[in-house]
Amino acid sequence: MDAENCFHCGNEIIKKDEIVYDEKKFCCNGCKTVYEIFSQNDLTCYYDFQAAPGATPQDIQGKYDFLDNEEIVTKLLEFQERTTHIVSLYIPHIHCSSCIWILENLQKLQPGINASQVNFGEKKVRVTFNPEQTSLKDIVYLLSSIGYEPYISLENFDEGKKKIDRTLIYKIGVAFFCFGNIMLLSFPEYFEVEEYWIDQYRGFFRWLIFGLSLPTFIYSASGYYVSAWKSMKSGLLNIDIPIALGIVVMFVRSTVDIVFDYGQGFFDSMAGLIFFMLLGKLFQKKTYDFLSFERDYKSYFPIAITKVLPNGDEESVQVYDIQKGDRLLIRNQELIPVDGILISEKASIDYSFVTGEAVPIEKKSGDKVFAGGKQMGKVIEMEVLFSVSQSYLTQLWSNDVFQKRVEQQHKNITDRISRYFTPALLALAVVSFTYWIFIDVQTAFNVFTAILIVACPCALALTAPFTLGNVLRILGKRKLYLKNALVVEQLAKVDTIVFDKTGTITTNKKTAITYEGTELNASELRLLKNVLRGSNHPLSRRLYDFIPNQEKIETTSFEEIIGKGIFAEIEGNTIKLGSSQFLKTMTENTHKKTKVHVEINGVYKGSYVFNNQYRKGLEELFSDLAKHYNLVVLSGDNDGERRILEKMLPSKTTLVFNQKPEQKLQYIEQLQKEGKNVMMVGDGLNDAGALAQSNLGLSISENVNVFSPACDGILDATQFDKIAFFMRYSKNAMKTIYMSFGLSLLYNVVGLSYAVTGALDPIVAAIIMPLSTITIVSFVTILTNLYAGKK
Amino acid sequence: MEKQQFYYDNKIVRNFLYASIVFGVVGMLVGLILAFLFLFPNLTSGISFLSFGRLRPLHTNAVIFAFVGNAMFAGIYYSMQRLLKARMFSDLLSKIHFWGWQLIIVAAAITLPLGYSTSKEYAELEWPIDIAIALIWVVFGINMIGTIIKRRERHIYVAIWFYIATFVTVAVLHIFNSLELPVSLSGMKSYSIYAGVQDALVQWWYGHNAVAFFLTTPFLGMMYYFVPKVANRPVYSYRLSIIHFWSLIFIYIWAGPHHLLYTALPDWAQNLGVVFSVMLIAPSWGGMINGLLTLRGVWDKVRTDAVLKFFVVAITGYGMATFEGPMLSLKNVNAIAHFTDWIIAHVHVGALAWNGFLSFGMIYWLIPRMTKTKLFSEKLANFHFWIGTLGIILYALPMYVAGFTQASMWKQFKPDGGALQYGNFLETVTELMPMYWMRAVGGTLYLVGVIVLVYNVIRTVRQGSPVENELAEAPALAVISPSRLKGEKLHSWLERKPVQFMILTTVAILIGGLIQILPTILVKSNIPTISSVKPYTPLELEGRDLYIREGCVGCHSQMVRPFRSEVERYGDYSKAGEFVYDHPFLWGSKRTGPDLAREGVKGKPFNGGRDDVWHFNHMYDPQGLNEKSIMPRYQWLIKNELDKSTTQDKMRTMVTLGVPYSDADINNALKHMDEQATKIETNLLANPEIKKSFGGQTASPLKDREIVALIAYLQRLGTDTQVKK
Amino acid sequence: MSVIYLLITISIVVAIVFLGAFIQAVKSGQYDDDYTPSVRMLFDDEIVKKENPNKLIQTEKQKSI
Repeated sequence: MDAENCFHCGNEIIKKDEIVYDEKKFCCNGCKTVYEIFSQNDLTCYYDFQAAPGATPQDIQGKYDFLDNEEIVTKLLEFQERTTHIVSLYIPHIHCSSCIWILENLQKLQPGINASQVNFGEKKVRVTFNPEQTSLKDIVYLLSSIGYEPYISLENFDEGKKKIDRTLIYKIGVAFFCFGNIMLLSFPEYFEVEEYWIDQYRGFFRWLIFGLSLPTFIYSASGYYVSAWKSMKSGLLNIDIPIALGIVVMFVRSTVDIVFDYGQGFFDSMAGLIFFMLLGKLFQKKTYDFLSFERDYKSYFPIAITKVLPNGDEESVQVYDIQKGDRLLIRNQELIPVDGILISEKASIDYSFVTGEAVPIEKKSGDKVFAGGKQMGKVIEMEVLFSVSQSYLTQLWSNDVFQKRVEQQHKNITDRISRYFTPALLALAVVSFTYWIFIDVQTAFNVFTAILIVACPCALALTAPFTLGNVLRILGKRKLYLKNALVVEQLAKVDTIVFDKTGTITTNKKTAITYEGTELNASELRLLKNVLRGSNHPLSRRLYDFIPNQEKIETTSFEEIIGKGIFAEIEGNTIKLGSSQFLKTMTENTHKKTKVHVEINGVYKGSYVFNNQYRKGLEELFSDLAKHYNLVVLSGDNDGERRILEKMLPSKTTLVFNQKPEQKLQYIEQLQKEGKNVMMVGDGLNDAGALAQSNLGLSISENVNVFSPACDGILDATQFDKIAFFMRYSKNAMKTIYMSFGLSLLYNVVGLSYAVTGALDPIVAAIIMPLSTITIVSFVTILTNLYAGKK
Repeated sequence: MEKQQFYYDNKIVRNFLYASIVFGVVGMLVGLILAFLFLFPNLTSGISFLSFGRLRPLHTNAVIFAFVGNAMFAGIYYSMQRLLKARMFSDLLSKIHFWGWQLIIVAAAITLPLGYSTSKEYAELEWPIDIAIALIWVVFGINMIGTIIKRRERHIYVAIWFYIATFVTVAVLHIFNSLELPVSLSGMKSYSIYAGVQDALVQWWYGHNAVAFFLTTPFLGMMYYFVPKVANRPVYSYRLSIIHFWSLIFIYIWAGPHHLLYTALPDWAQNLGVVFSVMLIAPSWGGMINGLLTLRGVWDKVRTDAVLKFFVVAITGYGMATFEGPMLSLKNVNAIAHFTDWIIAHVHVGALAWNGFLSFGMIYWLIPRMTKTKLFSEKLANFHFWIGTLGIILYALPMYVAGFTQASMWKQFKPDGGALQYGNFLETVTELMPMYWMRAVGGTLYLVGVIVLVYNVIRTVRQGSPVENELAEAPALAVISPSRLKGEKLHSWLERKPVQFMILTTVAILIGGLIQILPTILVKSNIPTISSVKPYTPLELEGRDLYIREGCVGCHSQMVRPFRSEVERYGDYSKAGEFVYDHPFLWGSKRTGPDLAREGVKGKPFNGGRDDVWHFNHMYDPQGLNEKSIMPRYQWLIKNELDKSTTQDKMRTMVTLGVPYSDADINNALKHMDEQATKIETNLLANPEIKKSFGGQTASPLKDREIVALIAYLQRLGTDTQVKK
Repeated sequence: MSVIYLLITISIVVAIVFLGAFIQAVKSGQYDDDYTPSVRMLFDDEIVKKENPNKLIQTEKQKSI
């Protein structure tokens, strides 16, 4: 079929259900309706900015009924007044200028909307609307109808309006202002040009510099004093103590210099130091707005669910308000929020996300249904057993590993180094001060302050932020988004890697289906296709997509037996599809592979075998990793894949199957007890516990915008085979940091040797410092870029 | 807070565009006349108001304030309304601003050729016009900030930040550099309140920042609006433009002194200027990269679309000029380039490419949009582009070569290291004639391009139907300010008038502070006064005013730099103390003719040490003395009578500015002028030809002519510190 | 050279004005979103022709891009 692209969403058009409207080709009715809405409201230049920017709208009837409930709406609204409501909705599909254009022209589509403002970075749209003319529900319906369905989950139900913290930017602004002016005003004295005028203005310049240094000394550097004070109080000596000490000493020394006219003072070095340090902090604080690393089950569950009242009519109720014994109605693709018992006669539930099994599970009425599964097929009814928080899945979150996580502060490399550096420095300063005090008081002070200034570890303290900041940026470009700079350090320290199977090393997108048995000719395929269309069993749905398109013909009779298979008559011949017991032909059953057997007019033809598809480059990755790390594959699935995995993966990878979420967590805990530094690579909700417990949790996600459990880093599925490179790269980054630590210690040793002998006058010290800072920063940035280049 | 329909004001934009085109042609025409005056010095001989000295300020002011100014206002009025989704604050203010600005231009076009000039470069306009400029500028500011307040788009786009910066800083610069005391409220003459070195520093602090905040920041703002709009692609990195804006604004305000390297300005100020200008390269190039990379993905359109071609060359020109600038401000490079034609090349690369081409690109894009029709002929626009680019190249390259030849010839010594290789300054000038020819050709090509633009625009406007007011629709800005979202009541008053209130108060404080602090500081100027330096005699003072009136400072500098070649050629290098009584300073910035700082000192064979008769004949017929000279004739100085009516008022003004004239000097000023004039007259009449042609007129004897005062001034130059031989 | 007092004080005052403007801008959230404004300025909000929106035929919006 010639792959024509849909004018609206760009997907391939399947020849037979192609729709032509206004001499443009669309892949489905949904796209056509969206195009129609736009052209009626004169919004056709939506297609000018970007080719085929749209998305096919899903049908969402009933999905957002909970928006009628006033109490929920008030929670979701950002601002509420009689005539104006403001709501901020997260829309994953925002990806180009056309999206921005259409989402900012919503007022043309719905009169009630006054204004809508898109924040591209956070993929959010802020809609201001008049509640009398339209409601939040209408807006959500409008957005979904044009293919921009918002993602509303429990999370933004209770997360209040977080205040954006901009103090760092103010501090940097003030620091830059003071540093710039002080440096320029101190240039004349630098050139020591003996001239008539310079003597005229020495006083004016110096006091102006002093005045300008106050804001940066007091306001911009306040962060360092606070953290130094806290670390002194808590006993662990972090790097901020020598920094704060260095700054204070410089300030005092310079003030003394200009008051007694000893010299020019070094306010410019102090201001420069503060400015570079704050810049390092900003550089390290790289945040990805559209990602959140702390998602837990709340951001996966819906806000409300439709409850069936005893008198039979439906009413949407908040998930938190569900009690034991309520009757709930779960629609197609909706999530089961609580544990309960199935009432309607059958249902097929996809638990791949929760327990990791690839294939949906069939449930009969009366079976127990667990929270977190996604209901496939038509509406079902269930009775509640436990409320949301006690349900089996959410207990996982009550596990202590999540509470512990918050305060377990990894000690970063700079703090570890400073534990030795700070006391050594202070001891040296005091010793040399006492030594010199007897010979000459003046040089004693000189030496004391020179030591503290030269040794002020700005180069040391700047190394880590700039290196890790740069590494973060480079990894981000390669679609590995880490939570913060600390994660890079942990990445380098890992020695064992645990992989989850389903969804991590396998892609659940298109499982490869192979056919064993006598070939089916075109007419038989046509029959098979039409029969499969009738059933919405997940396996038959996947088989339906796999078989090439055929033109439609009516099935005369159709009967589906749950858990067994399908029996249908079409154009005079009988078709039987289903599991081996159903067709009563016992073929050899080597390993419990999911198979669908085919029998036409009583003659057994063969069977379609569903084995899940392994990610590209899996073998090379594992053989590469096996050299340095011991590898484990934990899977919640049955061990159907064991033989294949053993063949593909290096021999000493341990394979463990049928792992419940807690068992995964305990397994990792066990590894950690054996002193291993564990990295967990997972994707589904079932790995959340393991990801939290491991030293470093990496979650793989097909689409970065959609949900991924709480973790330290998110890796885009397409970059899966690059994990080995990322591990090597993080080790190189740590090597760079150690090298530059060596360099800065060298600076200090050289500087200190001068300082101790009193030969170093503070001016020279003050010049060395910015010099060392700049060399370190450039050295570090160049090295990390070089390493990134090397594959 | 419902949707509002309103009209964008296109009429004001169209007015400014037309004014910009008209005055662009006028300004460039004057520039072309100047170029040809280099080749035919006596092209306009005899007509005082068309002499080179008087036309040069007209050219600079016309091109900067009329052509670039109007284009800038057009760009600002058009882009600001669309970025803020609001009509201009008040149509009345827009009209006042437009007609006021054109009035100022016309006033300049009248007063400058008549010789009313303060001689301070790019600020030559006399005090009444300065006041008018200040008023109209404040009107423009109120109109702009008013529009920002009643905007319908919360986010203020980066272009608007550049416009705000332009308004604030140009206001401050203009006020402080135009501080001049008028001799009398009825007359046009005024004296700058600063003197000598201080006047130089303030002038070039203004000079550089006028270039910075009048020619660059608004155009950068327009670049950030028009280039994305025409290319239909977002700017390369909006974050870079924020960093670029804040660093550029902060550094520019400091970069004045690099115009005064190796002059009598104190060394530390010079070094400050050097460091500063080198730092300027980062933000400027940040802007250029941001502009050029916005065109990623549309480079194929640049091949066909003339407007994009104009923008690309404009931004590259900006990159080149802002790279050359810091290089020129390095002391050793400056030692070569200062006072030579290289500076002219640097100015014109920046002006013709960056300001010129960006404005042309904007015109070619705006006119069709505002008349709802296609451009009359895309081919002509491309033709204008190619001939304009050729014009720039043919202008700049010869001037670079001229600059190098001039500098090296000035500095060259004879092989035996004794005397100068080219002792007579004229030898270095005649060497440059071919380059001046090529420059004239380049200028003509550029002007032809502009004429083609005019034709193209007229035909486009005639075929289209101009849309006075463009209907637009946008929702009113949510009256809920972010603070009220958080429920803070305290901030709501401050929120409504944040930035604007602060800017206006600071401007008010500046003006207020100005009145009190200035007289006290400046009168007691503590430059080390050299005892032998005395104020000018009344006749010399009048001679100095003639020097200013005729614009001699345009071609002659009065600053000998501490280089062996200059000391050898002109005499002892200039000290700061010699200029203590110079209101305004006349150091000059270009040496088409020799330096005159030591003109009065006898003894130098080729330069200076000319007797009164030589000066008389030189003014009467320079080519008579040496036919290769490009000095124009100043015969009206010999015919006109010296106006002595205001001399005593001038002296009294000088006294208020701190020049120690005693009352006795002022009372018998006229008697003293007469004595000095007769002494010069006797020298002149000793020469038979002069006696023959001018001895007879008893009605207005030679001693009352303007030439005598000028000769008195020239003979006084540089003599105070030199022991009389 | 006492003009240096004047020049430096003016420069510092102007610099303080711009520092104040910088802090005010950051506070009022000008720089929270540093990508969308560059795209938003590309959209025209001029209403090109007087036509009522509910006419079904597709109106060719005269764009000079």
